[in-house]
Amino acid sequence: MEYLKDASKKMKSGLLFVKLASPHSGEGAIYLIDMCLQQLFEIKVFKEKHHSWFINQSVQSGGLLHFATPMDPLFLLLHYLIKAGKEGKYQPLDQVVVDDTFPDCTLLLRFPELEKSLRHVTEEKEVNSKKYYKYSSEKTLKWLEKKVSQTVAALKASKVSVGARVQSSAYFSAVQVSRDKEEDYVRYAHGLISDYIPKELSDDLSKFLNASRTSSFRAKPSVKGKLKVSDEPVEAKEDYTKFNTKDLKTGKKNSKMTAAQKALAKVDKSGMKSIDAFFGAKSKKTGKI
Amino acid sequence: MKNPEEATDGKQRIHLRPGSLRGVARAELHLLPCDVLVSRPAPVERFFTPAVRRDADGLHVSFRGRGLRGEEVAVPPGFTGFVMVTEEMGEGLIGKLNFSGDAEDKVDEAQEPLERDFVSRGRCIIGATSSFSHFTLWGLETVPGPDAKVHRALGWPSLAAAIHAQVPED
Amino acid sequence: MDLSELERDNTGRCRLSSPVPAVCLKEPCVLGVDEAGRGPVLGPMVYAICYCPLSRLADLEALKVADSKTLTENERERLFAKMEEDGDFVGWALDILSPNLISTSMLGRVKYNLNSLSHDTAAGLIQYALDQHVNVSQVFVDTVGMPETYQARLQQRFPGDRSDSQGQSRLPVSCGQCCQHLCQVARDQAVRDWQFVENLQDLDSDYGSGYPNDPKTKAWLRRHVDRVFGFPQFVRFSWSTAQAILEKEAEDVTWEDSAAEEDLEQPGRITSYFSQGPKTCRPQGPHRYFQERGLEAANSL
Repeated sequence: MEYLKDASKKMKSGLLFVKLASPHSGEGAIYLIDMCLQQLFEIKVFKEKHHSWFINQSVQSGGLLHFATPMDPLFLLLHYLIKAGKEGKYQPLDQVVVDDTFPDCTLLLRFPELEKSLRHVTEEKEVNSKKYYKYSSEKTLKWLEKKVSQTVAALKASKVSVGARVQSSAYFSAVQVSRDKEEDYVRYAHGLISDYIPKELSDDLSKFLNASRTSSFRAKPSVKGKLKVSDEPVEAKEDYTKFNTKDLKTGKKNSKMTAAQKALAKVDKSGMKSIDAFFGAKSKKTGKI
Repeated sequence: MKNPEEATDGKQRIHLRPGSLRGVARAELHLLPCDVLVSRPAPVERFFTPAVRRDADGLHVSFRGRGLRGEEVAVPPGFTGFVMVTEEMGEGLIGKLNFSGDAEDKVDEAQEPLERDFVSRGRCIIGATSSFSHFTLWGLETVPGPDAKVHRALGWPSLAAAIHAQVPED
Repeated sequence: MDLSELERDNTGRCRLSSPVPAVCLKEPCVLGVDEAGRGPVLGPMVYAICYCPLSRLADLEALKVADSKTLTENERERLFAKMEEDGDFVGWALDILSPNLISTSMLGRVKYNLNSLSHDTAAGLIQYALDQHVNVSQVFVDTVGMPETYQARLQQRFPGDRSDSQGQSRLPVSCGQCCQHLCQVARDQAVRDWQFVENLQDLDSDYGSGYPNDPKTKAWLRRHVDRVFGFPQFVRFSWSTAQAILEKEAEDVTWEDSAAEEDLEQPGRITSYFSQGPKTCRPQGPHRYFQERGLEAANSL
C-alpha cells in the first residue's frame, strides 16, 4: 500500500488517519490530520482492475496507490454549519461541530486561521469574548464561486479536457483544450467542487453561477441561451450516463453505492491481511541482516 | 482494521508513525498490468529485474509468458511515495520491524500527549517501510502512455492544490 | 557454432548466417528449409535454410551426411565443421526463436500461433537469401500445418513458382540433411549452453528431452516452478503442460484480457445498464474527473 505524502512538510508531528463525514455524501471517509502542523489531508485512492505491485522482493495484489493531498477543512466544517444553520441562530462552534458517528470531527476545530476562514461561510457575533456563528448561504455561494474560478484556472493550466466527450489526451489534448468553452470549464469545475459539498448546495451553486455569469454576459443574449444548459444537473447526469455505458466499473459504482462500498471494505480488509503477512516475513529477513 | 465494523464506527484512528517517514530506504517498485491475486514475498530481483531490456522504444520484459512494455513514472513534484504497512499492536513481529526507528518514535510520543494516549489504547499503527520517487509502469504489450489512468491520476495533486487553496479576500 | 550473440540476449530472436558463396550468386540453387525444437516445452525453436548450386549437389552428396537424428551431438558438431570447410559452395542461415519469443507471441493479445510463427520465420529466411542475391531456383520446405495454405502463402510472398511444400518433387537428400544438421546443432548447443536470464540458484539441467510427455521434463518443470513468476524464460509458458502446472502450483493472475473476466462482466454490464434509470436521480458517484483517473475517496486503509 502506497501513500503519496507532501514531503515538503516537516515530519516530526502527530499524524492521524481519522474517519470523518464526507461533506458530499455524509458517509465516512478517511482523512489524514497532521496534529502538529494543523493540516488536513484528503485521501484518494487510485484503484483500477488488473494491477499489482512489485515492491522490492514482494508482490502486492490490487495495485492501489493512495494520494494524501492538502484539503481545505472548511469543506468538512460546512457539513456541520449547514446542519446547525437550519436552526437559524448563532451558536458557538463547539456546539456545532459535534458528531456521535464521527467524534473526531472536533479535531477540525484545532486548525489555525479557522476563525478567519469561517468568515467565508458564516455570520459571526461576539458576546463576552465568545464567538457565535451562523451559516450564511449567500457568503458560502460567493466563497464557492471563488473556488470554482480558481479550479477553472487550474483545469486550463493542466490541460484537462472538460468537453462533453471523454477524449484521449494523446490525440486530442492540444486541439481539444483550445476548443473547450468557458462554460464547459465552469460546469466541470462546479462538478468537482460538488464532490465536496452537499447536493442541495451544489444545486444552489449551479444556479448562482448561472445567474452571475448571465449578468456578466447580458450584452450577448445568444450566450445567455447556451449558458442555461450549464445550470441543470440533467446535463451533468447525461455526462455520467454517457461515461457509464462506456465504463462499466463506474457504472456499477453509481448504481449501487452502498453495496459497492461494502464490497470495497471487504477488499481492503483482505488486502491488509496480506500486507501484514508479507511484511512479517520481511521483517524477519531484515532481522537476520 | 481487522474487524470492518470497528473500522467503520468512526472512532477508529490509525496512527501514522512519523519517525517512520524519515530516512527510510528507497524501494524499487513496478506497477504491473495484471493482478497477482496474492500478497507475499516474491523473488523479483531473481526473475524479473534481470529480464528487463531497454531499447530505443523503451523497456521490455515478460511476466508469465506475456510481453510487457514499460516506462518510468515520477511521483508528482513536491511529493514522496511511501510504502506503508499496518502494524497491529500486540503482534510479536511488530517490535522487530523498525529497530532504529523505535527510540526516535518514543521521543515523539513524549512530545505529543495525543499520540501517547493513542498508543496506550492499543490502536492500529501504520508506518512507512520505504519510500520512492519514481516507479516503473508496465503495460500489456504496449507502453501505457499518457492515457493510462495512473498517469492521469498523478495529475490530481496539482488540481487538488487549486481546489483547496484559500480563496482570495474580496 | 558461434552462438555468442544468442548468449548475450536470448529473450528475442537471433539470426546467424554463413557468408554467401560466390557461386551461389551466379548459378541456380536449390534452397531447403528445416526446423528443430518445435515440440519441446523448453528452449528455443530453430529454423535453418541451406542453399547449394544444382550443379554441386553431387559434391554435397559426397560429404555423406547421414540422417541427423541417428548421429550423436558430437558427430553432428563435426559434420557442421566439415560443412563450414566446404563453405565455397554451401550457404546457410538460421533463426533461433527464443522460448520467450514463442511464449509472448502465442500468448499475445492477438494470438500468434506456432504455425504462423513458423511460416513467417521460414519465409523470413528465404527472403534473407534473396536479399543476399542468392540465385534461388527452387525452394523446399517441410510442411507444418496445412501444406496448401503454406504453399499459397509462400507463393504469394515469393512469386515465380519456386516453392514446393507438398513434396511432389523431392528436395535433394543431401541439402535436406544439411538443413537438419544445422537446426539440430544450433538447438542442441543453445539448450546445452542456455544462459538463464534469471539469477537462479539450485538450477539443474536434468530436464530430459524437453518434450512435454517426458516424465523427466515434467519433473524438472515442477521442481522449478515459482509461485509468483512461474518458470524461467527457458520454458514455453504457452505449452499446455506448462500452463497445467502453473494452474495448480502458482498464484492466480488476472489480465484485462483474461477469458474468465469477460464472462463475468458481460451480465454485469447489462444489469447495471438497466438499473441506471431511477437511481441516477442521486448522482453520488465521483465526478468524471475522478472516474477517468481511477480515483475514489478512501473509506478504509
